[in-house]
Amino acid sequence: MMTYRELRQQAEQTWQAVESPPRPRIAVGVTTCSRAVGADETLEAIRQEVSRRGLDADVAVTGCWGLCYAEPMVEIAKPDGSRILYQQVTAERVPQLIEEALASPDGVCQELALGAVSPQPVDGVRPLSSLDFMAVQEERRLMNNCGVIEPESIDHYIARGGYEGLSKALNMPQEDVLWEVSDAGAGLWGRGGAAFPTARKWEFLRDAKSEPKYMIGNADEGDPGSFVNRTLMESDPHGIIEGMIIGAYATGASYGYIYIREEYPLCVERMELALRQARERGLLGESILGSGFSYDMEIVRGAGSYVCGEETGLISSVEDARGMPKIRPPFPAQSGVFAKPTNVNNVETYANVPLILRHGAEWYSSVGTDDNTGTKMFSLSGHIQRVGVLEVPFGTPVRRLVYGAAGGPPEGRSLKAIQPGGPLGGILHADNVDLALEPEPFREKGALLGSGGLVIIDDSACIVDMCRYFEWFAEDESCGRCSTCRGGTQRMVEILRRIANGDGRPSDIDLLRLLADAMRYANCAHGQAAPTAVMNSIEAFLDEYQEHIEGKRCPAKVCHGLIRYEITGKSYGLPEAAAICPTAAIVQQDDDYAIDQALCIKCGACRELAPAAVHVVDAFATSD
Amino acid sequence: MTDTTKTPPELEQLLADLKPDNADLLAVLHRIQDAYGYVPPQAIPLLAEKLHTTPAMIYGAISFYSEIRREPPARTTISWCSGPACRLKGSENMRRALEAVLGIGLEESTDDKAVGLHLVQCDGTCALAPLVRLDGHPKGPLTVSEAIRLARELKGKEGQP
Repeated sequence: MMTYRELRQQAEQTWQAVESPPRPRIAVGVTTCSRAVGADETLEAIRQEVSRRGLDADVAVTGCWGLCYAEPMVEIAKPDGSRILYQQVTAERVPQLIEEALASPDGVCQELALGAVSPQPVDGVRPLSSLDFMAVQEERRLMNNCGVIEPESIDHYIARGGYEGLSKALNMPQEDVLWEVSDAGAGLWGRGGAAFPTARKWEFLRDAKSEPKYMIGNADEGDPGSFVNRTLMESDPHGIIEGMIIGAYATGASYGYIYIREEYPLCVERMELALRQARERGLLGESILGSGFSYDMEIVRGAGSYVCGEETGLISSVEDARGMPKIRPPFPAQSGVFAKPTNVNNVETYANVPLILRHGAEWYSSVGTDDNTGTKMFSLSGHIQRVGVLEVPFGTPVRRLVYGAAGGPPEGRSLKAIQPGGPLGGILHADNVDLALEPEPFREKGALLGSGGLVIIDDSACIVDMCRYFEWFAEDESCGRCSTCRGGTQRMVEILRRIANGDGRPSDIDLLRLLADAMRYANCAHGQAAPTAVMNSIEAFLDEYQEHIEGKRCPAKVCHGLIRYEITGKSYGLPEAAAICPTAAIVQQDDDYAIDQALCIKCGACRELAPAAVHVVDAFATSD
Repeated sequence: MTDTTKTPPELEQLLADLKPDNADLLAVLHRIQDAYGYVPPQAIPLLAEKLHTTPAMIYGAISFYSEIRREPPARTTISWCSGPACRLKGSENMRRALEAVLGIGLEESTDDKAVGLHLVQCDGTCALAPLVRLDGHPKGPLTVSEAIRLARELKGKEGQP
């Protein structure tokens, strides 16, 4: 078996070819986001173009920088040391890219260039770090390898310091490893949403009497709008694995599971491969790195259930049963998977651990705030110009992400609300855009920072409609075991539906409050947090609810029970609009068109094709 | 993809290494679904026997997960993303239009089993919102009229014998 030093030396040789490429190296970022816009086709087109031209170049697959808006991205590194990232390289653009970037030694395809991987501009291309999306990220720690290394190469990970933390930990007493992670040391707490101190959770497991003990990585990232775990698993899978091995060593766990949601097939593929590679190098299995400590783990692939992200739901699911949350106590540390002591952490939590061991607790806590040390990854989506994933120190104001990184709402729109932490995380008025990104300020506003999803909402959205969506989600994903959650979410959906349909009653606001109050007694966090968005919004957007209930009007003209489509005026688009209508609701009389309201389903397709003539009006408008 | 004529002996092969208390059920359900396109009812008693539990417990687990099918899927599945970024960009309008064109609701298939509509949760490809996945391949951002044309094309294509 090789020592860590030998593994590192071997890996550095492989990495050398990336750092100082002997010939041009073309790397395509292949991840779920980039695949969605054709990265596989881009990769294939590059291979063909390279062979067609007989170029002496290497083609590689890398991960994701987090710049979803710029995908598919391609990096071209040359022997002269220049490394340039190109954006939106679809397969059709590959010939142009290769022609302009590789026909001459110092060629650059200016049209597609996004940034240079260097502190200074290269051949007129600005440094990547100067892009608005990158500039807010003072220090990328968890994402240090994302986009840079080949996620399918363990050598790349090792060459950049990977498994050094594990090697250090294995030479330390368990107690010292726990100290490094603890509040006295780095101060790491769980990133899944509950923000519980990690070392304390680990101590519960260590102190449990029964054997074997299990270590579980929660990658069930079910919050719609959250995709930070996915980015990590697809772009730097070994960081999570290393963190779990260190955790197992500190607690005496001998086996582990990584629970990955059904929607992430590429994560499963890359994590499986990473586990195999780690096993081959003696980093998993019997006597890891010759230390005498043994640990192994496997992947469990979910099958589409949100509550399996709740730790006891996840445990039920691993146990071959319905993924229903259990009543605590007993806590998982006493009785978890197969009634054995178990620790569950989010995979982002684990990814912090190798960094703490490698660089020390002091380094770790040098960024962030007094109460919340280190960095956190966030995914940005919704009404913004740039969708993506980034990493910032705790305490960073939301504004820097919304306006700095993401470019704010589209032209002509203004920020209305921010939705953190998934459908159960709540909804904050735009006034809170200067809130610091850490759990306490969000909690004070009655919301949750959660696991890292931030959905940005502009003034084209209806808050009642969005809350109806959040409650529908909570209802749909309720496991159904406790009637508080099952019935509570159903009632909330019914009330919000009638408000959105113009049948709201003045007493509905108080009824919603009453329900939310009762739901605090639900069995698990799912039911307890389900009313969060509704509660936030009946405070912050009460006028909008009242407009729906008393005025029978949806100010944003979204709730389809309160709007009507009408044709006034003429447009050359009307014949096409009539043809597209899925219910044949647009009737033609001579040169005039009208909408048969009985048939119209208010899908808005006609308005897309004849915007000058089709208008959305209030269904119950009064003429005064 | 879907072969309903396969008999239990072949199913048994897929279940050969199944053990109780070993976190095997989800893996084997995926394996069966990959082979058959769904989990056929014959699998339930076999799974129960292998995992030392009752068919009711197995059925309970299978029916809990929205991505495990108990019926063969349609020849083409349009998966409609229910996530918040899609919602903000008009996915509800798109859903109503798709349902109207196909004459079916979510989790249903057209009578000829040509096209099915399936609700999926956000997988974070929000740069493409609003989107659908056509047999797993994302298509977006889609306007409502583009979604209508897509559904009509799929329906029309399959209408020809």
